[in-house]
Amino acid sequence: MKALGIDIGSLTTKVVILENSRILSSVITTSGEEAESSAKEAVEKALTQAGLSFDNLYIVSTGVGRKSIAFSQQPKAITTCLARGICYLFPSVRMVIDMGAESSTIVKLNERGRVKDWANHDKCAAGTGIFLQQMARLMQVSMEEMSKLSLQAKSSASITSTCAVFAESEVISHVHREPPTPKEEIVAGIYASVISRIMALCKRVGIEKDVAAAGGVALNRGLIHTLEKEMGFGVLVPDTPQLVAAIGAAILAEENVEKGLK
Amino acid sequence: MTSAEQGNSKIKAIIRACRLIMRMNQALPEARKSEAMYYQMLINYFTRLLNARENGDFVAAHTVFFPAELIYAMDMVPMHAETTTWMTALFTGECSDILAAGAELGLAYEICTPHRGLAGAFALGVLPRPDVMLWSNMVCDNTAKSGELIMEICNCPGFFIDHPFKDSEYERNYLVGEMEDMVHFLEEKSGRKMDWDKLSEIVARMDRQIELVREVNELRKAVPTPFHSQGFLELVSSDYLFPGQPEAIEYLETLKQELADAVKEGKGAVSNERFRLMTLFLPPMHLMAFLEKISQEYGAVSVVEPFFTYWGEGRLDPTKPLESVAKKSYMIPEMRMYGPMDERALNSIVDCAKQYKVDGAIYYADVGCRHTCATIKLFKDTLNNIDVPVLTLDCDVVDPTATSEEEVGEKLEQFFELLEDR
Repeated sequence: MKALGIDIGSLTTKVVILENSRILSSVITTSGEEAESSAKEAVEKALTQAGLSFDNLYIVSTGVGRKSIAFSQQPKAITTCLARGICYLFPSVRMVIDMGAESSTIVKLNERGRVKDWANHDKCAAGTGIFLQQMARLMQVSMEEMSKLSLQAKSSASITSTCAVFAESEVISHVHREPPTPKEEIVAGIYASVISRIMALCKRVGIEKDVAAAGGVALNRGLIHTLEKEMGFGVLVPDTPQLVAAIGAAILAEENVEKGLK
Repeated sequence: MTSAEQGNSKIKAIIRACRLIMRMNQALPEARKSEAMYYQMLINYFTRLLNARENGDFVAAHTVFFPAELIYAMDMVPMHAETTTWMTALFTGECSDILAAGAELGLAYEICTPHRGLAGAFALGVLPRPDVMLWSNMVCDNTAKSGELIMEICNCPGFFIDHPFKDSEYERNYLVGEMEDMVHFLEEKSGRKMDWDKLSEIVARMDRQIELVREVNELRKAVPTPFHSQGFLELVSSDYLFPGQPEAIEYLETLKQELADAVKEGKGAVSNERFRLMTLFLPPMHLMAFLEKISQEYGAVSVVEPFFTYWGEGRLDPTKPLESVAKKSYMIPEMRMYGPMDERALNSIVDCAKQYKVDGAIYYADVGCRHTCATIKLFKDTLNNIDVPVLTLDCDVVDPTATSEEEVGEKLEQFFELLEDR
């Protein structure tokens, strides 16, 4: 029996198939309006990639849509999956920062990949991937350009970290003031505001090394650089940070297979 | 609706809900006799309040942790202000009208909802107008100001007891003096005399009441624990509403026997006890049924509430009634959280965690309560140091708009998974 983990996020769906703790295939697709059908589509793609069929699979689902798919044997919380997933990739990690499209989650874990504590921020868009996308649109630059600009900044503009709406109007005023605030400074300010929210969450549970970043936002090198500056040390980032929770779900599926669960 | 009818509408709603619960419980084969007694006590308490005007009774409204023993000894009808508000949320699930009325009075969103709702309820005229308002600075600034505001809204006289923050012989004597002054005030306003013999009897019963809660707590240490999660509200209400009253003794004696029988039979409050929890502060009242359901689902049960059911050491002396009432105010479980935050308070939660074999703790961080939110990190670090995970759940004890059922459910699931996976 193969183990399959699926992470149904608000923006993307991620699937990982494991065999003997080795990744056979992985896919990332855009989440559709119906969680069940986009999950099925993503699973089929991953199965095709691995040359497998839908039979003889143990599936663990996670993410916001974890309970809406009928073919999952077990839904698991994102925190549990992030801890297992990051422990698989970097066994030395004791804290993982997951920056997703609509929420951020900080998980503290032990050496066995078990959750010790966590904190999440899900009340406001400030500090999330969607917020960064919105800011990029506002600045008329791509996410990649935004990342590069931030690395060039010598100082940063002051942007609020408490509210996405207030942050947006502050960015607009920086763009339109005479002379306008340089773009790289605005971007650096946006990143600083995102990271200040993340740091507050990290401090709430207590920072413990090694620290890793996960989620789509972790692909943003400029943002990770800002995070490292705030942390005062380097942060580990997997090659495909979006897959961490799906890997964790697949590991849990494998554990269940070993326990003989059906 | 006449103004008198409207003035009783929230009280009527509470009575109606209690009757309904009693009727539903009668149909359950496993229903506790003590639970039926508890709801009957609530019905009687609020019915007495409902009929007070008609019966020519003198209604004394008071804030939380106020020495209601004195009100009972003077044969007045007490009205526990905050409990009336949270029971409105608990039994009707709906408080938006009174909270909106509180906001109209200019009370900010950040102000504690039981007080905001209480002021709104009196302003709306959906609670009976008291003859006097009695309050103190115990336990918080909200309480200290709330009485003054209600007195103004209801246009009734009031008395404020200055409760010293610290506990010493000097401060207790000062508190006794404050209570003597209040007795004079009540005698003057009501034309009734304090019955000191009756107060002694009440104090004697209160001493027994505290002992009974301690005995119930001992039984709750059993694995599996015999008392269900939300049952602690019964213990809390028996002190808040019925201090030193015969019905409270009868209720607690019955409960103790039922729990002792359950322990003997090895019968737990949840069918498959997996997680023994410590409850810190008050869960959102409007989500009680949901919390009970999810607890049953995961085999989780609250076994101890250090700040609500875990009494401090000491006994009351009926020969010194006023001194005993003053002493009791320093023994109440809540005093550990609201009083000076020293090692004793922190050690007591560590002791509770060990004695009750706690797997995890849930900290209901009431957004409107400065005391509660100020101690989150302190308590969390203390419990984490003895390897007890803590879930901090931002919520509001009364206002359903502060947290959704989905949000609470999601966090609880994550927490139970954490406990399961350790």
